[in-house]
Amino acid sequence: MSTNKIEIKNLTVNYTENKKSFNALHDVSFGVGKGEFVSVIGASGCGKSTLLSVLEGLYTPAGGRVEIDGKELHGTGTERGVVFQHYSLFPWMTTRNNIAFGIKQARRDIKKTERLKIADEFLHKVGLDGFGSKYPSQLSGGMQQRAAIARALAMNTEILLMDEPFSAIDAKNRVILQDLLLDLWEGDGFEQRKTVVFVTHDIDEAILLSDKIVVLTAHPGTVHEVVQVPFERPRRREDLIKTDEYGKFRNKLLSLLYNDIAERIGGEEVVL
Amino acid sequence: MTWKKRFLRITHLLFAVLILIQFLPDRSTKEVFTGSLLVFAIAAEAVVIISSFFIKKEEGLSLLLDIAGFIYVFLIIWTLATAKFNILNDMLFPAPGKVIHQFAEDKEKILINIKSSVGIVLQGFLLAIIVAIPLGLFIGWNARLGNAASYITKFFSSIPPIVYIPYGIALLPTFRSVSVFVIFLATFWPVFAGTMSGVLGVDKKVIDSAKVLNVSKPEMLFSVILPASLQQIFLGCNQGLSVSFILLTSAEMIGARDGMGYYVKYYSDFGDYTRTITGLLVIGFVVIAVTFLFNKLQSYLLRWKR
Repeated sequence: MSTNKIEIKNLTVNYTENKKSFNALHDVSFGVGKGEFVSVIGASGCGKSTLLSVLEGLYTPAGGRVEIDGKELHGTGTERGVVFQHYSLFPWMTTRNNIAFGIKQARRDIKKTERLKIADEFLHKVGLDGFGSKYPSQLSGGMQQRAAIARALAMNTEILLMDEPFSAIDAKNRVILQDLLLDLWEGDGFEQRKTVVFVTHDIDEAILLSDKIVVLTAHPGTVHEVVQVPFERPRRREDLIKTDEYGKFRNKLLSLLYNDIAERIGGEEVVL
Repeated sequence: MTWKKRFLRITHLLFAVLILIQFLPDRSTKEVFTGSLLVFAIAAEAVVIISSFFIKKEEGLSLLLDIAGFIYVFLIIWTLATAKFNILNDMLFPAPGKVIHQFAEDKEKILINIKSSVGIVLQGFLLAIIVAIPLGLFIGWNARLGNAASYITKFFSSIPPIVYIPYGIALLPTFRSVSVFVIFLATFWPVFAGTMSGVLGVDKKVIDSAKVLNVSKPEMLFSVILPASLQQIFLGCNQGLSVSFILLTSAEMIGARDGMGYYVKYYSDFGDYTRTITGLLVIGFVVIAVTFLFNKLQSYLLRWKR
């Protein structure tokens, strides 16, 4: 297993809220290979965002460890780029400056004019030409997430951590953004692909994007199953969802998710 | 905007009324300087008309015209009550023309006094924000200190700064240094408190977002926390600025040799109420001008807010 880029070993996280401590994650272990796109799915409250906070370095686990390239993770690091659901961008910086600021943090050696040039390049890649001098508050939610993705990609980190980046976006724009992310990530070519950990509660999103899906169950959050996604790349949404295999695979994931819910409420009828 | 909206305004009618009433016979026993009032009114109207050609936004034009209209109404009532019908005591209430004439006569002296007052306010104010903002950022960011500091701040900011004056006089050699000291204190505490509450109120998501970018400590304070708490800081600054003018003019009336407060107090002691009123109006304009510029700066620095 030493070939994995990220190795999560027996991770346990306790959360303290209102002086009550509870077990958010319990004995979570899985690996993420180099250049692999892994989604973490689960019902809300299963600790998937907590797991990502640990990977981001914002939260210290109570037990277990996270290794990146075999070295134990401590705090935040320049090898990881992050896209949050909200507020990834600083509202007082223009989109161009937001991206340039990110580049400056990740790669100190690049000069300012060069940073702005790279920023414009990535604004172009995410389809935000001409929006460089706008402030985040002047952009729609979808455009803000485009800019956040542009910043994370422009920082050119080996690892990309994404915490439900599209869940606050309307359905139509979500589809567009998923396709954009897929294009950009696959477009890097097999060797240069970034290692991605992507948290979502959207099954279709997880299938479309991922090589591997980690299904978490809640209270406390544990790994229910790790499923390989059997579809060839490059993927196209229109082709993928037409196939029978897609439906079957989707049902399998659904049953993994909802079995867990049915078990927890003790066999009562589930109305969904 | 249509031609009608641009130029057919009630303000111009008020201007005409203001000019016409000047032809009524004067009943005041004192000189009324109708000529000075006419020059002032025509100059004001000229500014209004020229601006009407150039202002693009309708709200902006309406604002200008409303202010001009208000000034005209004020001058009409003032003229009628003094020069034309002599309802008010003409010793205590000079005609508007006389005040305008006095301003023109004294303008060099007034300018020196304005410079002195504004200079002192700016010096104390700038000194205070230069010290208070970094200190507030640093202490607010070290949250454990932040709690204790906010109680201490509450204590010190509850002391009305004017009571520092006697101690300041004992402590410092000149009136100017005492004034700067008092204005420094009057501005320091609200700005410091505003900065700290701004820092403590910064959204955790914004801080996380900066942390995952691995920003350095100075960058965290000055590129992230500072802009994120800027609105609260400006609240404190505005409070400090308005208190500063109150304090300074009061102090100038007690012990200064120049300044706008001194000008008002000095001439009212001689019973020269024309100059007293001139001084009052000038203080009003100066405070409005400084506040206006400061608000411009504020909306520029906060332009990223919706």
